[in-house]
Amino acid sequence: MIIEDVIEFLKKVPPFQSLEDAELKRIAEGISMEFYPKGLSILNQDGPASEYLRIIKKGGVKVFIKSNDDEEIVIDYRSEGDSFGFLSLIGGDRSRANVVAVEDTIAYLINKKTMSSLLDSNPAFTEFFLKSFLNKYIDKTYKEMHNKSLLYGGGDKLLFTTPVGELATKDVTTASKDITIKEAAGIMSEKRISSLVIVDSEGIPAGIVTDRDFRDKVVSKNRDVKDKISSIMSVSLIKAEAREYCFEALLKMIRYSIHHLIVVDEGRLKGIITNHDLMMLQGTSPISIAREIESQQTIEGLVPPSRKINTIISILLKEGAKASNITRIITEINDRLIRNILEIAERKYGAPPVDYCWIAFGSEGRKEQTFKTDQDNAIIYDNPELEKDEVEIRKYFSEFTRFVRDALVACGFPMCPADFMASNARWCQSLNVWKEYFSRWINNPTPEALLMSLIFFDFRPIHGNLKLAEDLRSYLEKHLKNQNIFLAKMAGIITKNRPPLGFFKSFIVEKSGEHKDALNLKLRGIGPIVDIARLFALERGVHDTSTLERIKVLKDKHPVISELGAELEQAFEFISLLRVHHQIEQIESSVPPDNFINPDRLSNLEKKSLKESFQLILKVQDAIVEIYRAGMVN
Amino acid sequence: MMNSLSTYKDRITDILSPRRFGLVTDAAIESGDYVVLDTELTGLDPKKDSIVSIGAVRMKGGRIDLGNIFYRLINPSTAMKHKSIVIHGITPSDVAEKPLIAGVMSELIDFCRDDVIVGHFISLDMDFINRDARRIYGAPLKNRVVDTCSVHEWIRSNDGDFSRHYGGLAEELNLFSLAKKYRIPFSNAHNAINDAFVTAQLFQRFLSFLPRFGVKTLKDLLRIGKP
Repeated sequence: MIIEDVIEFLKKVPPFQSLEDAELKRIAEGISMEFYPKGLSILNQDGPASEYLRIIKKGGVKVFIKSNDDEEIVIDYRSEGDSFGFLSLIGGDRSRANVVAVEDTIAYLINKKTMSSLLDSNPAFTEFFLKSFLNKYIDKTYKEMHNKSLLYGGGDKLLFTTPVGELATKDVTTASKDITIKEAAGIMSEKRISSLVIVDSEGIPAGIVTDRDFRDKVVSKNRDVKDKISSIMSVSLIKAEAREYCFEALLKMIRYSIHHLIVVDEGRLKGIITNHDLMMLQGTSPISIAREIESQQTIEGLVPPSRKINTIISILLKEGAKASNITRIITEINDRLIRNILEIAERKYGAPPVDYCWIAFGSEGRKEQTFKTDQDNAIIYDNPELEKDEVEIRKYFSEFTRFVRDALVACGFPMCPADFMASNARWCQSLNVWKEYFSRWINNPTPEALLMSLIFFDFRPIHGNLKLAEDLRSYLEKHLKNQNIFLAKMAGIITKNRPPLGFFKSFIVEKSGEHKDALNLKLRGIGPIVDIARLFALERGVHDTSTLERIKVLKDKHPVISELGAELEQAFEFISLLRVHHQIEQIESSVPPDNFINPDRLSNLEKKSLKESFQLILKVQDAIVEIYRAGMVN
Repeated sequence: MMNSLSTYKDRITDILSPRRFGLVTDAAIESGDYVVLDTELTGLDPKKDSIVSIGAVRMKGGRIDLGNIFYRLINPSTAMKHKSIVIHGITPSDVAEKPLIAGVMSELIDFCRDDVIVGHFISLDMDFINRDARRIYGAPLKNRVVDTCSVHEWIRSNDGDFSRHYGGLAEELNLFSLAKKYRIPFSNAHNAINDAFVTAQLFQRFLSFLPRFGVKTLKDLLRIGKP
């Protein structure tokens, strides 16, 4: 009866519920039970480690930590079915947090031995506990970072918390795609609307017609108004899912330069959301800055709006953005800025003598820019038919690229100190030459070649004939097949950059110099994750260049990432955000932004999350060393 | 079952041996070993009635060990009365095939080791157990005993915190009134193991308050929990 009750209870609690009855019985027979009156401290931060995993049968507890200045930071409230004490049980050294009963609480205790054997024999178990805990800590750290900084306080964070469906205008006039152009025009003038959503027989949006379609496709083309409306509607409907956050809608509007988004729920029309709706939500809009940039016709005109890009970061942080939210917006806006500059250059110097593709690499290639960073760009131009054309092409691009470089400098992107720019003739080459570069680096992986690969293999097309870049990407993929020695060498280089964590899990900081007692977050924290994602992406022929996209795709392709990918994403987001916060604080106090933070200035929670992130990186690096061991020895 | 003559002799020597009682009474109550015990009887008179079941759970401090429980039905040597059958729900046919108390006693002694036996109105249970132990081994159990009813009485006169925590104290002193008052989940099934489990949880609640009121060692507990 007593044991049966325990088994029944465990059957409702993840991850125990997935176990077989016989296993549950075995666990239940080793369980003990404790009672904690309200107010009792069950575990104490830095006190003895927990010997048990405690599952709350009844009641509730508060899990919190004390910051250095004795401030209480609540990590979590846990109640019936939740557990606590896992981290210190597994860590075994000390308790990580304080746990206090907030109600009279009854807990079932599972001892360390039982937990270890469960973790050993059930991967799902390990995953459940590790994931849920790392995420919980990091989520709390985000909150703490936002809360402690007065700079970003008070924001309602609507952009990241309001689903599109809530903001959308719900009464959308629709019409069947089988009606005629005349009938559609009739509906629109009767209802005094400028656009009409066309739906199929299932009620699923099939297209949209606007006033402009009547002007451009009917009147000016003398089209018969008895034709079906579907013949003139725009079918490439950009949609937002009703449950997506407004941020996603904002991103789509910037990306596709549109003002209206159809909002759908499970494919069905739910409403329409406009740029105006989003502006109302948050005051200053990244969209307005993007539009301002796009509407400029001269470099001089571009300079003032491009200065505003940094302010977007503050706005987004205030909204509670994650680092990836920020970089996605910044990428969209920077891409627009560069495209506009290139278009201005094309007008100034005339059409290029040959197709070309402007590519970006480095953090810009990975879509991971925050504050303006050095230029990292190049040109791939189509292979000239005749050798003599080469001279003309070179002359054209030589002036063209110098103009673009200077324009970018004027807009706040400093020149690349290593001269990795299209204005350097070495990096303004035909597709064939680029292929030659790539194959040479791969076939003869000298230290310099490896360094080039790390930088250039993150290339991403920005403007021009994108097919050239796609060609080069496919070539790279084909050429990397079975290039185990190259990949092993790359693995060897990147695993040498260990996160700065000492033997006793203390941070290793600079011993002297300008950044004494600080550590370089970009080089030692973000860099290793970028390198890991790149290595595996090259190994598995993944074309995406951003670290988070690479990890996402690799979850189905690489065993290490399918196991640890979710945590790597968390760690990457976390370290990146720590860096953005650090930099924006420097900018606010008129200090040039850098990547050095002093871990002593971090809160306990931030330190803890950073350490866990570093440990995760070490774990993945160890896995890489294991995988490529043979090649690295060579 | 261990019912050969030599086992009995070993038992007697074992029970009477002084080393069995290595109970350190100045140990903290949070680290004490307890056996919380309950019996069901054919009636209340030790001269005429017998034990029909014994249930017990072990506790290490406030931690109840759910995987190590003791529950035996016993074929009573005296007639079962209608009145008691109604209370505990054990019928003569349930126990007809069960061992006699002589066959269960050694297992009970093994289970109790030299730990403190805890129960609600424990003297009644101990009267019956010791009567049978005397009959079988010629000696009673030497375990120290704590009565949760006495502990509750002590709390009533000494520990205002406990009363505040639960919004007053129980008026009636039977196990179920106390369980209800102190929010211990219980089923209505009256059987020895469920009652022992409820008693253990009652004891658990007391233990979490006692150290603050000066009841820190087993010695203190034995003093206030004297049946």
